[in-house]
Amino acid sequence: MMLLPLLVSLILMGIILSSLGKDAGAALERFLSGALGTPNARVDVIMLAVPMLLCASGLLLTYTAGLWNIGVEGQVTMGAIFATIIARSITQEDTSPFIVPAELLLAAVGGALWAALAALLRIHAKVNEIFGGVALNFISVNILLWLLNGDWKVGTYPQTADFNTPALLPRLEGTRFSPLGIGLAVGAWLLVFWALNHGGKKLVIPGLNRVPVVGPILALGVRLLNFLAPRGTRWGLQLRAIGRSPRSASLLGVRVNRHILLSMIACGALAGITGAVQAIFVRGRLSPGISGGIGFMGVLIVLLVNIRPLWVPLIALFFALVPIGSLKLASSLDPAVQIDASLGNVFQGVLVLGVLLANGLRERAARKRKENIP
Amino acid sequence: MQIRIDQITKTFGRVRANDSISMALEGGRIYAVLGENGAGKSTLMKILSGYQPADSGRILLDGQEVRFATPADALITGIGMLHQDPLDVPNLTALENFMLGKHEGLLPKRRTALTAFREVGQRLGFDLNPDAYIDSLTIGERQQLEIVRLLSMGARVLILDEPTTGISAAQKETLFNSLKHLAHEQGVTVILVSHKLEDVEALCDQVLVLRAGKLVGERAMPISAGELVTLMFGQSLERKPRPPAPKGDAIFEAAHLTILTRRLTVHDLSLKAHAGEVIGLAGLDGSGQREFLRACAGLQPPQRGHLRLHGRDVSRADYHQMARFGVAYAPSGRLEEGLVAGLTVVEHFALARPGGLWIRWGAVRSYTQKQIDHYHIKGQPESQIQMLSGGNQQRTLIALLPDQLSLLLLEDPTRGLDVESARWVWEQLLERRAKGTTILFISPDLDEIIEYSDRVLVFFGGRATLVDDPAHMTTEGLGRLIGGKS
Repeated sequence: MMLLPLLVSLILMGIILSSLGKDAGAALERFLSGALGTPNARVDVIMLAVPMLLCASGLLLTYTAGLWNIGVEGQVTMGAIFATIIARSITQEDTSPFIVPAELLLAAVGGALWAALAALLRIHAKVNEIFGGVALNFISVNILLWLLNGDWKVGTYPQTADFNTPALLPRLEGTRFSPLGIGLAVGAWLLVFWALNHGGKKLVIPGLNRVPVVGPILALGVRLLNFLAPRGTRWGLQLRAIGRSPRSASLLGVRVNRHILLSMIACGALAGITGAVQAIFVRGRLSPGISGGIGFMGVLIVLLVNIRPLWVPLIALFFALVPIGSLKLASSLDPAVQIDASLGNVFQGVLVLGVLLANGLRERAARKRKENIP
Repeated sequence: MQIRIDQITKTFGRVRANDSISMALEGGRIYAVLGENGAGKSTLMKILSGYQPADSGRILLDGQEVRFATPADALITGIGMLHQDPLDVPNLTALENFMLGKHEGLLPKRRTALTAFREVGQRLGFDLNPDAYIDSLTIGERQQLEIVRLLSMGARVLILDEPTTGISAAQKETLFNSLKHLAHEQGVTVILVSHKLEDVEALCDQVLVLRAGKLVGERAMPISAGELVTLMFGQSLERKPRPPAPKGDAIFEAAHLTILTRRLTVHDLSLKAHAGEVIGLAGLDGSGQREFLRACAGLQPPQRGHLRLHGRDVSRADYHQMARFGVAYAPSGRLEEGLVAGLTVVEHFALARPGGLWIRWGAVRSYTQKQIDHYHIKGQPESQIQMLSGGNQQRTLIALLPDQLSLLLLEDPTRGLDVESARWVWEQLLERRAKGTTILFISPDLDEIIEYSDRVLVFFGGRATLVDDPAHMTTEGLGRLIGGKS
């Protein structure tokens, strides 16, 4: 059901490229080879998908409860700031195994606090979480800049010094590959998947075990998913009920405000960890724009999959392809394919709009059908 | 303007809201369209004012057949409708609302509009500030504004839907005086849609009574309230003799309860309910019975007075605490505040049943199947609730109620059910009564109240009268109280 919008977006991008006098076919080829052509590029794509998956997993919770947690950007930023509180004091000689876990934990607390603020504003002051979130985003950015221009500034630019290696998310020797990062993101997603699932069907992929190397690993993942599939949590059901009708949910015995707060806190914690990953992995220091728009990217992903957890990792990977692929296009010397990297973002935007449009049209068609039934 | 309504029929699903209704209305008179909730008044008026088309039938204005695609069409031919909640734009001023909908080119003529606004307002005795924002106006003032607007756009027929709900006594007097002036001096046809007998008596020249989608009577005023009530509710069957309520202890008590809401105040209500007793709450819609029921459920905190359950003061308990004390509430707006559209039947049972962090789907599913069979719900455990018919949604709502209850609060428990199903639901409820559950229920159907209540609490304008003598539980007796006559 996402294929048609994807096709439409590709065609639209083709038209845009052609109208700029570029060779669309060659551009696509260069894009794909740039994103997937080398082992390093593939690792980059996977590692870029990590913060997206983390953030989108949290957002699945709030969007299920009908909460437009636009404040997620601020929660990511606060997570990065909180992680930095520990990270900037770590020296090259520190060896404790608890450094990174402590950073992640503190980041989760920071993000959760920021999200709780938006939730409390909504519950007790009737401030819509969208407006509260926008305001808190703005405040978080200014806290970040205030710190980076003040006590935390090292050198001429408003940023901290590069963190020492013990403060960074560990990665495989000589690569950007971080199994811990991937584990965090996949683990978070599985937890959310489990929390939200409602007795879904079991996934069957025939012949998976015969695929060499990746096959057995994927098969293990599928078995785990299938184990989780028929086991739903009460919380997930309660969040879904709230998202669809808070009044009815309340009368059926759901404590609406409590679960609004809890889902925001859970999302904020994951957003905070996302921020920590940005600081101690992606950038290696705290600098302006530390969230890198990951929060909004998460919102796009959740909208794109229509709040269905199963598809999130795939879309996150796909979204991670785009900036890396388009970077390759941008740095190309061949004028027939050289375009600005921001065109990749345009493509993502077009895709999301396409999917939303398709959803809207489908709902309208369904309503029409229903009305025609006498 | 003369209006003739000829054989208008409108069906919603299985409900025939208007059943070939014909009537003729003359200019310069004030008509009342009277009827209980669901009698078809609003449907008929919406058809007349262009909000929805009829399935069949004709509307003739001065002998000419007319068809309206939109309310604007109706207004052009001279029919304007004033809704219960006036349809105005909140963040504009009174004058700006007045100017909306006028077709006068790109640049609105503010000064001309202001003159017209003042002129019409003065003629009707309204004191409206043209620069006041809508949010700062009372409902009464917003109605006045809407009337001024409709008249200035050429309305010769004015339909008012429950205009006296939520306005002050003084505003009501102003409104009635201006309506009389409009009708008797200026020849406007005024149609008042209401179920308030005192308004009808104070204002109208002629009354048209609808019951169950049919026109059942047309009378020139004045006639007695008793006759109107009989027309509205129909002749009732005699109350069937039934074993008296097992007089248990008084488990639930309301003492000098006062409930303030935006629209209504319930004054100083006291009631002692015994275990195993059914108390019917009668009254025209919006007389305070719903507010009282919601207060008992912990959904509407009372301003003054006390609620006691098993001797414990629960005046400040919220809905969830009340639920823990064994109180359950089944609302009447099923998909609005009872069931969650988009969730399946089994998911509703999973939500409503207590349990831990995990849902044991197997157990919930078999319980759901049991309830589906027991309550004859036409649907599968995996059916989305909104796909069920109204009657089956109602059964689901009843089936979701917990087993062990001290107090059961029901709003219109048999809404949308046929006679057989309604009887069956009451069997279930009376079984609970036999086990000692106290039941308080609201029903717009006086027969249902008379048939199943051990005592009846009749509401009128926020005040309640207790009827505990079965001899007085007749349509006639209750109808007089419902209409505000003691």
